[in-house]
Amino acid sequence: MRRALGLAVARLRARPGRTALAGLGILAAGAMAGAALTVSFGLATGFDRAADRADLPDVIARFDNTRTPAFVDRRVRALPDVAARSFRLEITNVHLSGNGHRSGQGSLEVLVAGRRRGYAVVAGRDVSDRRGGEVVIERGLADQFGLGVGDKLHIGQLTVRVAGIAVGPDNVAFPLARTARVYVPSGPLAARFGPAPVNVAELWLRDPSKLDEVLTQARAVSYGLRDLRFITRGGVRATLDQAAGLIVALLSAFALVTLGAAALMLAASASAEVQRRMRTIGVQRALGFTRGQVTLQHGVEGALLALPAAAAGVAAGALAAGGPTSDLLATLNELPPGAALLPWLALAVLAIVAVVAAASAWPAWRAAGRPATEVMRGGDLGRPRRRGRRVSSGGGYFALGARLAGARRGRLLATVAALGAAVAVVLLMLSLASLLDRLKEDPALLGKRYTFTVGDVGARQLVGSVPGVAAVGERYQVDGADAFALGSPVRLIAYPGDHTRFESPPLASGRRVRAANEAEVGQGLAQALGLDLGATLAVELQGGEARFRVVGIDRALDNEGRIAFVQPGRVVRADPAVNPVLAVRLTEDADPDRVAARLTALGVPPQRAGGATTSNAAFLGVLADVLRVLAGLTGVVCLYALVQGLALTARERRSTVAVLRATGAGQREVAALFAGAAVAAVVPALLVGIAVHQWLLAPAVAHLAAGYADLPVGAGAPEILVVALGLAALGLGAAAWMTRRARREPVVVGLREE
Amino acid sequence: MGVVVRATGLVKVYGAGAARRRVLDGAALEVAAGELVAVVGPSGSGKSTLLHVLAGLDRLDDGAIEVAGAPVHRLGERALTRLRRDQIGLVFQSFHLVPELTGAENVVLPARANGGGAAGATRARALIEQLGLVDAATRRPAELSGGEQQRLAIARALVNEPALVLADEPTGNLDDAAGAAVLELLRSVAVGGRAVVLVTHDPRAGAVADRTLRLVEGRLEAAPPA
Repeated sequence: MRRALGLAVARLRARPGRTALAGLGILAAGAMAGAALTVSFGLATGFDRAADRADLPDVIARFDNTRTPAFVDRRVRALPDVAARSFRLEITNVHLSGNGHRSGQGSLEVLVAGRRRGYAVVAGRDVSDRRGGEVVIERGLADQFGLGVGDKLHIGQLTVRVAGIAVGPDNVAFPLARTARVYVPSGPLAARFGPAPVNVAELWLRDPSKLDEVLTQARAVSYGLRDLRFITRGGVRATLDQAAGLIVALLSAFALVTLGAAALMLAASASAEVQRRMRTIGVQRALGFTRGQVTLQHGVEGALLALPAAAAGVAAGALAAGGPTSDLLATLNELPPGAALLPWLALAVLAIVAVVAAASAWPAWRAAGRPATEVMRGGDLGRPRRRGRRVSSGGGYFALGARLAGARRGRLLATVAALGAAVAVVLLMLSLASLLDRLKEDPALLGKRYTFTVGDVGARQLVGSVPGVAAVGERYQVDGADAFALGSPVRLIAYPGDHTRFESPPLASGRRVRAANEAEVGQGLAQALGLDLGATLAVELQGGEARFRVVGIDRALDNEGRIAFVQPGRVVRADPAVNPVLAVRLTEDADPDRVAARLTALGVPPQRAGGATTSNAAFLGVLADVLRVLAGLTGVVCLYALVQGLALTARERRSTVAVLRATGAGQREVAALFAGAAVAAVVPALLVGIAVHQWLLAPAVAHLAAGYADLPVGAGAPEILVVALGLAALGLGAAAWMTRRARREPVVVGLREE
Repeated sequence: MGVVVRATGLVKVYGAGAARRRVLDGAALEVAAGELVAVVGPSGSGKSTLLHVLAGLDRLDDGAIEVAGAPVHRLGERALTRLRRDQIGLVFQSFHLVPELTGAENVVLPARANGGGAAGATRARALIEQLGLVDAATRRPAELSGGEQQRLAIARALVNEPALVLADEPTGNLDDAAGAAVLELLRSVAVGGRAVVLVTHDPRAGAVADRTLRLVEGRLEAAPPA
């Protein structure tokens, strides 16, 4: 082992340029892995981390009429298994201003009773009844207003000091959430205005698995509390999912795929490095080195090279992705992973070292098993096909370059694999970006066939008479909760008659709704509630419960698939306050802007049908940052793989290029030679990348991201064209660079190479 | 027979300071078409350097060279490339065949550069038959003997019908029989009307050469008959 170590160190030091090149590749792949790990770990664990640190209650109960703490406490005491409770008074639509910013969407959270808070103070300290004039504000508000600990905040006419900044993971952060929360102690307020009533109860259970029993009991003892609504930890998670879950899941899936691609590139590049040394391996075997010694030496050399490069790369990737990921988590009121990420990063470094060592050792093991003379002679040259005696000119230097690259099959395959993986990842990224745009703006992607809604239902005939309008129908939409799992939100969408005229998400199983007691549910809802065909969907609405029999399951994307299409009868009966709007479907050749202008002129201004994701620009900007970091790292790896492949070819073909120049090849011929070699790798890599993306990555990401819906993540012609042009530019650039280098070297130097 | 190579006052210096060395120091040479000239000398005497400057692969520090009427010492890189392609054939000690190509493809290689695709292929085919390399033509260099490889390298040097063939230790990697065959082949190349300059250690070269020159302290002088 010591001898292998010494030999490996000597070999690495003997070729500093080559070592640096291989190290750079590992560093780039390590950066990809580090970034992917930071994004996926941060997003996957962000909610649980924040919920644990904030001591998020198991149940939050809200009711419309305020009650005294003693009244609510009597109800709560009747519940089984409650470990602790806190009560708050929530006052919404409060005017906040500070540091030159203002908002009328403040939510004052008066902490009336109980020691446990349900939020985590991330800067400064918590408020207490002993200190008046102090508040804790949520981080989103602090960021938006540019406030820090000690700054002044105006709540209406009252001026208070910010004592701390907190994260409350029971909702996304302001401004992604409409309201900005300010936590105030009740003591000073009580001294001035008298005891405060409450309208929020937070409960912590001894055994969270008994949540359903507690909720059932809570409903039974809730008399006197109007419009009681419960939200559980699971419900909070679902709420967050509604805001960003689909995108976060897509990003996590993307990061996982990137990790896989990085591993493939590492293996391919390490394998290529050993292929280059076939002759040396042959000589070693001829000198009496055992197969094990040769293998060990290459494995150790790979590991020695990989360890520092992987550590630096993983650290660089984690640092690069850390900022945007933290920003993204901040918008979701979640916490960055901090030190919890370190063991995973260390594990990634070890995994990279293991991959490189194995990818170096395996081809060495295979080569060392072949006769030494065979290895010395040709390395990994493929066996020539028997040709006839016909002699042809062979198609020029471009074709010769392609043949030279193709002759080293192992190397070419490794380069194609690395490039193909990079192409697939870049395509995935572009497809993802395109999907995000479409999800935001294209209602048709959600199965919506109507373009506008109009609030005035009485104007149905008027709207229908406008040129370009194909159909007008009443559309009801109401949010409720599943009657069996009270924390689970459900959105009911109702049309009289056939809803597919206006909304037609693909049917995954069953059939469409035909009767008032039937429902088609989205796969997201079916999965969350365990609904199957024939099951009963019971939805708790404002005025009572509405029950339906599930007859169909849709691949719906809207509202994370937590929707159900029904007919309006039972919805209106359970919630008489629900108001329909008119859904307006246009003819295929209609100009939406012209129709909208006409409707506005008629006094019925339309609203455009929206997409799935939030329209919050800051949030989407943060997402774009994360994508850009991942894309940038992928692009660097792609360039590296190409340059490494060509540089290795050029280095190895030094004498061949010199002979060609000595026998009359000029600059044009040498350039054609390298271009041919580049094309030999680029064209199959592009095809492999497209195939891997279209048939492997895109379906896998769509599946990982939203098992409940079919996401069209596939790349279109524009994305493929962009990647093809980019790759061609990279290939030609690399070929030009190699030509310049080759031409600057005296021919005689190359001739001495062999 | 016209003069193909005329070189006078050749000076080539390597190194600097104490390591400075005049490898060529006023060497002069004239070779006519149909003539085979052997240049001998100890290792490190500058034989390969002489060949390199004659082929325009390396630049002179002083002196003048004409090959087929072209002033090699004054030509730019493009013109030198054209000159090598059209007028000079090179043979190397280690053959320098491209390992991925078959023997025939190696022979036709220089013809790719001068655009003589079909004509080059025809010439290559003729050379392969003429040199008895029909079997070797379909194989890759790794499957061939040293003698076969060197004969293919000579065929490659001749495929563009150059006026001058420069051979650098062509028998250095061959056994006696193969070496003798290669020397005979070069003799026949000269008989065919080309000028051949052969740099070698091989004592048998004197027997096939029209003249033998010795490179001593950077100058060429006639060697005593073997």
